[in-house]
Amino acid sequence: MARVLIVDDAAFMRKMLSDVLAKAGHEVVGEGANGAEAVAQYQSLRPDIMTLDITMPEKDGLTALREILSMEPAAKVVMCSALGQESKVLEAIKAGAKDFVVKPFQPDRVLDAIGKALA
Amino acid sequence: MTTEDALIKLAESTGAAIAQVLEIVSSATIERSPVMIIPSGQSPLSTIPVPAVAADVSYMNGATGGNVFVMTRLGVRRLAAAMMGMDAMEIADSEELSELDQSAAAEAMNQMMAAAAGATSAVLGEEVDITPPETRFFATPNEAADAYELTPHVTTVGFTLLGEPCRLVQLVPNAFVVRMKEAFDELDAQAAADNRSRAEIGERISSDSVRAVPVRVWAELGRTQMPVGRAVGLATGAVIELDKAPDDPVDLFVNGRLFGTGRLLLVDDEWAVRIESVLPGAGADDTSDVTPEGGPN
Repeated sequence: MARVLIVDDAAFMRKMLSDVLAKAGHEVVGEGANGAEAVAQYQSLRPDIMTLDITMPEKDGLTALREILSMEPAAKVVMCSALGQESKVLEAIKAGAKDFVVKPFQPDRVLDAIGKALA
Repeated sequence: MTTEDALIKLAESTGAAIAQVLEIVSSATIERSPVMIIPSGQSPLSTIPVPAVAADVSYMNGATGGNVFVMTRLGVRRLAAAMMGMDAMEIADSEELSELDQSAAAEAMNQMMAAAAGATSAVLGEEVDITPPETRFFATPNEAADAYELTPHVTTVGFTLLGEPCRLVQLVPNAFVVRMKEAFDELDAQAAADNRSRAEIGERISSDSVRAVPVRVWAELGRTQMPVGRAVGLATGAVIELDKAPDDPVDLFVNGRLFGTGRLLLVDDEWAVRIESVLPGAGADDTSDVTPEGGPN
């Protein structure tokens, strides 16, 4: 079971992800509401894995993803975004995200992505 | 294509994308009414049931314009309840929207607007990105009527969600209509060309006995070449790299002749292919094409 950081600008989505992950036995160690918080929280918490939204105020998720991976190339990040256009998915995966979950999602899809990224 | 046709097509595809997201997040059936074009100068929000919650999203690039999605306060409460796995129809109206209600509605609207941007991207053939949605509350129709700057073209689509009315408003500037019309005209021209070439082929295959000849159709994921010495030496577990990227379409062959390209999808848990393009003159008399029947060439 992993220490997980959840980053999404919607409090509802953070709660939903947090419930799904906690139920599966993961420990949610922190939450962030934008890309800047994603980078800061990642640095201070050093989670095993994080979920990251794309469309967020201040700093978007793709920018945050690149910053986190440049600090920590081994960081495990699963994108979790409503923007499912092929180019966004490819951009994220090319930048180094482990997986891409398109919202709206089934809880199993998230757990599956987290499980595979940790394996 | 007329301006009206373009506006209706845009609103139709956006409305369909939004209804699909709503059905998934609410686990309920969504009713959708036909597109309405709002006469210029008239506010699309002056007749909404209040109190209402609206989320607006503007496009960051690619397309100027915006979408506004308006729901009644009760609709927001019910949608939030449904998203949390509760029985939405048990929920009654209340003066207060909890923070979680607001956040759930904003998230649902964000997902709808992302789906809408995806639908618009598909029509325009280019990417459109969206800003995070901004949520507003309207106590009276007048507040709503003055809330957004009107564009030259405005359309609405009505939905019924969990027993409550809601509405998509598309604010469409002139420049956007021009681009939409161009994009649609290109699609139409492409479709007409495809149909022409298919009609020509149809004429050649006219007799029933010829039509009944079975042909083999297959989809090819990728191919490669290697010296025969390496091919015979392949062992279990060996990895052969193919010439296609994961996002490339698959090639479709009819009796060995390249016919077009497609995208793999699952239908009833079995692979299927959605045809993405048909080669001009596919099936015609040219024999220049590849024949993979004899193995990798």
